Amino acid sequence: MKNKILKELIKIVDKKNVSADKIDLLHYAYDATQNMYLPDFVVFPENTEQISHILKLCTEYRVPIVPRGAGTGFSGGSLPISGGICLSLGKMNKILEIDAENLVAHVEAGVINYDLREEAEKFGLFYPPDPSSYKYCTIGGNVAENAGGPRAVKYGVTKNYILGMELVFPAGEIVISGSKNMKDVAGYNLKDLMIGSEGTLAIITKLFLKLIPLPPYRSVLQATFSDMKEAAQTVTNIIADKVTPSALEFIDGPCIRAIEDYLHIGLPKEAQAMLIIECDGIKESVEAELSLIEKVCAKNNAQHVKRAKDKKEEEVLWKARRSISPSLNRIRDGKLNEDVVVPRASLPQMIASIQEISKKYNLPIVNFGHAGDGNIHTNIMFKKGSEEEEKAKGAMIKIFEMVIEMGGSISGEHGIGITKQDFLEKQLGKETIDIFKRIKKALDPYNILNPHKMKLC
Amino acid sequence: MLDKKWETCVKCGLCRSVCPVFREEKKEQYVARGHITLIEEFLKGNIDFSTKKAHEYLGKCLLCTTCVEACPNKAETDLAMILARIKHTQEYNVPFYKRILSLVMKNRKVMNLAAKTGSLLQNILFVQHLDTSREGMSPRIGSKLIERKRLLLPIADKTFLEQYPSHIEGKNGRIAVFPGCGVNYAYREIGDAFIRICKKLNIEILIPKEQVCCGGPLYFSGLIDTPVELAKKNIDLFNALNIDFVIVIDPTCASTMKFEYERLFSYIENEEYLEKAKKFSKLIISSEKYLHDYTPLKKMLKKTKIKEKTITYHDPCHLGRAQKVKQEPRALLNAIEGVNFVEMKDADTCCGNAGSFSVDFREISVKIALRKAESIIETNADTVVTGCCGCIMQIAEALHIKGRDDIKVKHTLEIIDEVLK
Repeated sequence: MKNKILKELIKIVDKKNVSADKIDLLHYAYDATQNMYLPDFVVFPENTEQISHILKLCTEYRVPIVPRGAGTGFSGGSLPISGGICLSLGKMNKILEIDAENLVAHVEAGVINYDLREEAEKFGLFYPPDPSSYKYCTIGGNVAENAGGPRAVKYGVTKNYILGMELVFPAGEIVISGSKNMKDVAGYNLKDLMIGSEGTLAIITKLFLKLIPLPPYRSVLQATFSDMKEAAQTVTNIIADKVTPSALEFIDGPCIRAIEDYLHIGLPKEAQAMLIIECDGIKESVEAELSLIEKVCAKNNAQHVKRAKDKKEEEVLWKARRSISPSLNRIRDGKLNEDVVVPRASLPQMIASIQEISKKYNLPIVNFGHAGDGNIHTNIMFKKGSEEEEKAKGAMIKIFEMVIEMGGSISGEHGIGITKQDFLEKQLGKETIDIFKRIKKALDPYNILNPHKMKLC
Repeated sequence: MLDKKWETCVKCGLCRSVCPVFREEKKEQYVARGHITLIEEFLKGNIDFSTKKAHEYLGKCLLCTTCVEACPNKAETDLAMILARIKHTQEYNVPFYKRILSLVMKNRKVMNLAAKTGSLLQNILFVQHLDTSREGMSPRIGSKLIERKRLLLPIADKTFLEQYPSHIEGKNGRIAVFPGCGVNYAYREIGDAFIRICKKLNIEILIPKEQVCCGGPLYFSGLIDTPVELAKKNIDLFNALNIDFVIVIDPTCASTMKFEYERLFSYIENEEYLEKAKKFSKLIISSEKYLHDYTPLKKMLKKTKIKEKTITYHDPCHLGRAQKVKQEPRALLNAIEGVNFVEMKDADTCCGNAGSFSVDFREISVKIALRKAESIIETNADTVVTGCCGCIMQIAEALHIKGRDDIKVKHTLEIIDEVLK
């Protein structure tokens, strides 16, 4: 059977674009969750038609198929937990068009987020969604997980930039939902259903993305605090003052120390919290907004408030921010990496509660992230293989319960995948999950598309 | 025992944005995160490594350590790769040409003989190129290993070690010189430049004739028996001298002797030589750093002039990343009046040579080199300066392919020597 499928796959994509050797499969068995599940095949399609044929084959033989961008997800979306085909979109990485008159980009799903950003900038345009992995993650993956990023506080997340997409369904149907149009209400909004569907409903192959004019001016400041609560309060005050920075990032003390150990850029290691605040737009308004923000920082007893004096200093700050997640290994070798979100005004309360949970479970829980939109990356640190591992799970459940109670969500931007699937029903209720299951069954009757994710079956 | 310093990898995927090989191949089999996963399975014995694919996946890494530098957890993919190659060569076949090299490099006399023969035959077997970015030669008849159009380094008529006495008097400091095979046998003019500079600075120089190849090219391929012998000889020889530093002109040799000898003796668990290697490591310094930090050269250069030149600088991996010598050559070059220094894009990105990588994976090696050439051309420089024989050869060839033989490739020491003349 396996041989037969392999032969068929070779027919579709050519020998060079498929492998069933363990030595190759190994490289497509993991993602940033560090879990490992070997697929049976890895396939590198070069166009939509090939994907259509592959899906027909999967339907015929009931083979699971899991799309994969760069494998940088934190929820296990691209893990082939039931084996089958790992469908790498790595070779479909072309920017087909930057339409500078309509402010639209047309791209293949495997395009790297950063490559699109660079290309758009050549036209004076801007693609805002910028997950921390933006230099290596793919747009297709961003759409499948509905990724966010620091600039979501002002510009929104991936879903706000999707005008249309090309999709392939299990029977091989190629469907285009949406278009280059800014408005389009013809029929069901299939594309919106696909955003955040984690590869469980269709394979996303191409996208029409909305671009916006590149803000002419940008400035960043960093503010450090000796009390975490004061930093959280600053965030809430800034939002309440009707100032919308283009990024409003929170970093707690342990994170500051982890990145300083990695980058040695002179961050104050004794600080208990730091905010990175960026404003963009017309120079005069940016300067006015930043002055206002500086005042709010001062009111909340910020120790140091410093503006980046040039592009280079800005880059250093952003590099520091983006490096937090991977550098946490310096604190403990194990982590439960969560991305809970609460209504923005509840942020100080959430941060305080997490600190309490950390004390109660006697585990380091570090926090950083997009405070401006209420989305915090809570990392419960533990020593792998020790009794801390079980304790960490207990702490995670406590945090999820608290967040749900506050009217928040268990995931702001990482997705559910396998890591959070046990808690989805708790947040959404059984009725919602049942409707999800009916949608899944209707679009993927044989359950071949990324099966056994999100507890959908 | 060596610490498995690659186990800190958290599979975030950041290496995908920096690896020069991944940039061309776009497959997880050719990036640090993938290498580490594969090697862990290999070391556990979970995967059949007798296959051609296994050989390719272990080979197709430049060991440029760009990923290690960029990694938030400093996962040492290069160490994982070297250990895997060692295990692989012990269990499976080594390419024939590498076994021959292993025999040649073991013995200075054999190496000299090979070079002499090469020097005599180079006019017959090779076409000389004098009008390229850097003087070189290419074989008249191509082979599986070296294709016909490859631009190689020339072979010097007299080696560096033959050229100079073992002792040159001087009053300021006392150093020993290790030219490295690239300087000794091919680009001797770089070594000549260094000696002239030191004479100007009145530095006492020892040139021990018993020094042997550092063993780097074999070690990086996973062959360790010969490197262990070579390392012991070099360590014993230089540790016994009463000197301030061993100036190692070729950065690959410097980085092999400064960092890899310790790894090597840790690996074979030879405590005695591990200690000696640590002592030796402290003596080793690049010529650029030595001249910059320990001599008044920069001051001297400030009084010099050069005919208006636009210069850009390429950081060799083993000088910039390994030895962290990035600012020193730039500072020295910038001190010269008339130098218009322009930074190129990605100046510290590997040129793609990486020794036998350029033989085993010629196609990728050239692709990487052409990107480097494009960065150089973009600067409008008339001279590209760097600090490594391998980089010089590779960049000259890339510029040749691009039809830009007019851009000259020079060593930092050559520019300095030229203005001091």
